[in-house]
Amino acid sequence: MSQDGNSLSRRRFLSAAGTATATAALAGCTGGNGDETTTEETTDGGETTTEDDSGGNGDSPSVLRYGRGSHSPTLDFQNSTSGEVAKVTEQLYDTLINFEPGKSTLTQGLATEYTLEGTTASITLREGVMFHNGEEFTAQDFVATYRRFVDSDYENYAGDDYVSAYGPFTLGSWIDEIQVDGDYSMTIELTQTYAPFLRNLAMFAAAVHSQAAIEEYGTELSSNPVGTGPFQLSNLDDANELIRLEANSDYWGDGPNVDEVVFVTIGQNSTRAQSLASGELDITDGLGAQSSVQVENASNAELVRTEGINIGYMAFNMASVEEFRDRRVRQAISHAINTEAIVNEIYSGFATQASQPLPPNVLGHNDDLDPYPYDPDEAQRLLEEAGYGDGFSFELATFQNPRGYNPSPIQTAETVRSNLGDIGIEVEINQQSFGPFLEYTAQGRHDACFLGWYTDNADPDNFMYVLLHPQVEEGELTDGQDWVSFDAEGYNTSNRSGWANSEYMDLVEQGQSAYDEAERESLYNEANQIAHDEAPWVYLDYADELRGVSNRVSGFQIAAISGPYLNLVSLN
Amino acid sequence: MISTRFVLKRLLLLVPVLVGVASLVFSILHLSPGDPALTIAGERASEEFVRQVEESLGLNDPIWVQYGRFLADAAQFQFGESFIIQRNTTVREVLANKLPVTLELALYGQLIGISLGIPLGILSAVKQDSITDHLTRIGALAGISVPIFWSGPLLILLFAQVLGLLPTSGRISVLYNVEAIRVTGLVTIDTLIAGELDMFVSAVRHMILPASVIGVYSMALISRMMRSSMLEVIRQDYMRTARAKGQGSKITVLKHGFRNAMIPVITVIGIQFGGLLGGAVLTETVFAIGGIGTLLVEAIKVGDYPIVQGTVLTFAFLFTLVNLGVDITYSILDPRIEQ
Repeated sequence: MSQDGNSLSRRRFLSAAGTATATAALAGCTGGNGDETTTEETTDGGETTTEDDSGGNGDSPSVLRYGRGSHSPTLDFQNSTSGEVAKVTEQLYDTLINFEPGKSTLTQGLATEYTLEGTTASITLREGVMFHNGEEFTAQDFVATYRRFVDSDYENYAGDDYVSAYGPFTLGSWIDEIQVDGDYSMTIELTQTYAPFLRNLAMFAAAVHSQAAIEEYGTELSSNPVGTGPFQLSNLDDANELIRLEANSDYWGDGPNVDEVVFVTIGQNSTRAQSLASGELDITDGLGAQSSVQVENASNAELVRTEGINIGYMAFNMASVEEFRDRRVRQAISHAINTEAIVNEIYSGFATQASQPLPPNVLGHNDDLDPYPYDPDEAQRLLEEAGYGDGFSFELATFQNPRGYNPSPIQTAETVRSNLGDIGIEVEINQQSFGPFLEYTAQGRHDACFLGWYTDNADPDNFMYVLLHPQVEEGELTDGQDWVSFDAEGYNTSNRSGWANSEYMDLVEQGQSAYDEAERESLYNEANQIAHDEAPWVYLDYADELRGVSNRVSGFQIAAISGPYLNLVSLN
Repeated sequence: MISTRFVLKRLLLLVPVLVGVASLVFSILHLSPGDPALTIAGERASEEFVRQVEESLGLNDPIWVQYGRFLADAAQFQFGESFIIQRNTTVREVLANKLPVTLELALYGQLIGISLGIPLGILSAVKQDSITDHLTRIGALAGISVPIFWSGPLLILLFAQVLGLLPTSGRISVLYNVEAIRVTGLVTIDTLIAGELDMFVSAVRHMILPASVIGVYSMALISRMMRSSMLEVIRQDYMRTARAKGQGSKITVLKHGFRNAMIPVITVIGIQFGGLLGGAVLTETVFAIGGIGTLLVEAIKVGDYPIVQGTVLTFAFLFTLVNLGVDITYSILDPRIEQ
């Protein structure tokens, strides 16, 4: 790449030498000469494309500029769990099954038919789909992709220091065997009945590499992506944190409707919002409350929002704090914390108050449940009833940097401290940066902690089982006790509460293996009722998804899961 | 003349400095809380997966083994591969991408600072206590006092939003593919080499605001130092003698005074430039120019050890190199210093 660049620039340098450099530097600002040069260079330069700065007039290609806060650490969906990676790989790659744009329901992707019965998933693949390298997509590509991700015996396995945790989490833990019947049909045998499986196939991490590319590039796929998606990579510029994609004219699905997409990294939210307002960006994400207001006030852009599929919460560590083992104490604290004020004042209303672990728009969200109302008197009464009328003290661990579900963790912690101070509970705030915080709380060293979760697959299991089920063997549990130690063998540390309510566990286990939607809905409704009443967490908020979109963009569909669907976007 | 011996001696002194810095960085990173394997693996990882990552990266080796490995690699300027920021890319490659970004900003910022600071400082000294002097000093004080995280966004608001004259962020219009014409990594130079005038103009327009923000700060420091140093020199006996011999004040100041007054100013310029090579984090952040400073801050935040180690050592190396340059300049300005 850089060698090409060198030879190109030498040639250009020679062609431009003599009159060009010095004289044109004076005259060139007028623009006429520049345009001529551009056309000439583009035709012989081949891979270099240069455009007019204005970006959208007739003969120049239409370029969609997508602004975000961080650059992609890799372009391989098997190499990272980062959402920044997903945003780009969703454009380059396809999954067998897709989420419908802006919804959490499933639709066809590279698979035209898919069923899950018992432990068998049968999948029929789309024919005639071509990878960017000209190879045709077949079932063998999916198998090679899968093995590269999770099978350390496979010759093209990407390596323990390379693959992301989504390998086992999404596929490896559930798939027993894949059988290929011809090029366009395959059967996946699961290790157990597992209702979310088809949804896992729709996750970005379950996209499909080309087998030929896997063999050719190995781990270099992280900078040489070869997918079947609506766009293909034209240039990865790590120095300037830009990723340039060009339209795949052979794309099998809808769109793309623009010639190019550029992912632009602008770390500071306010600068990003300003860039949108001044017309240097077309779409931007990662907006905080303040920059959302900036976008709302911009004349040439609008703020688009939708309910997110996430939750922010405060977990009680029942394994370490005796007081928290009494349900009345947890309920009292849930009543004492003014979540309405937190959501409206601190999060500026860009979130809704939470009532249960499962956010709205996910199957099994219980509409009959309301958030715990702010009621210090009731809180005091419950505390007294539990025998803690004189209060007690605990440490609240929190991360320092904003996260989507908790954009102001320190301020939120201060509010909790002040609210609980009113009912005689003394809170000491322990703030840490996110990495050490995760380690600290995963080891169960906290008394209580803030945390949250963004969905992977919009399945209730992804919240209810993943975050509140201890996942330990029966023998580790004690009869009549609804918590378990973090030291228990195989304990699921994502359950930061140590909560082990057998009734709840039964329900979510049934939910995991039930395939009938109505049945699952009622199981999760009930599980949510229990989680609400038992209050292993203080349910804080469901954060909204916010995007700034320029007026020259049409067809943009904001999505709480998957996406952005840039293939549907066009520029006016 | 500068003797090779002098330069060699200085270069040798670099070794203990760098070993010291390397050891310090290593210890701080390994003493601070946080398990990098857990950070790499992420929230979705099982305990087993975290251990697998830890083992594959050698993070479970005894600390002295890790330290030995690190020193041996660092001696060859190898720092391994980035854990998180640019997964599985060598730190060398990441730095090669980021250093020119920082270098370009520092160069232009310092160029503005020097070309304004020195003349203003001299003017201020020569016209001591005049209106010009007062205005320059107030300007310099303001330049030092106004924080970049305030002046930066304000400049963006004025020049990009209200007047629409300059772009808000980045190094060049994102519509241009500068990666394809990369030679030096400095976009203003690469675009010229490629003969792409539109791109060059875009690069210069993007550079104006951030370089000015840095330049104003530099200018303020340099002009203050120039003024006081010049005032001191002007009062020296040899200056009076020169004037007594009938030389005009312009010539005395520029010919006899300037050279001697420059010594402390060179120190300031050296330290500043060295500091800027470590990344003007605030300016980089405000104008979304991802240089080495932003990289380091990000790497510390997410626990990307190899990047932190590589960046800090590179910074230390460059800083000491700039200081060597300063020392050499001293000995040119005043050969007595070499003794």
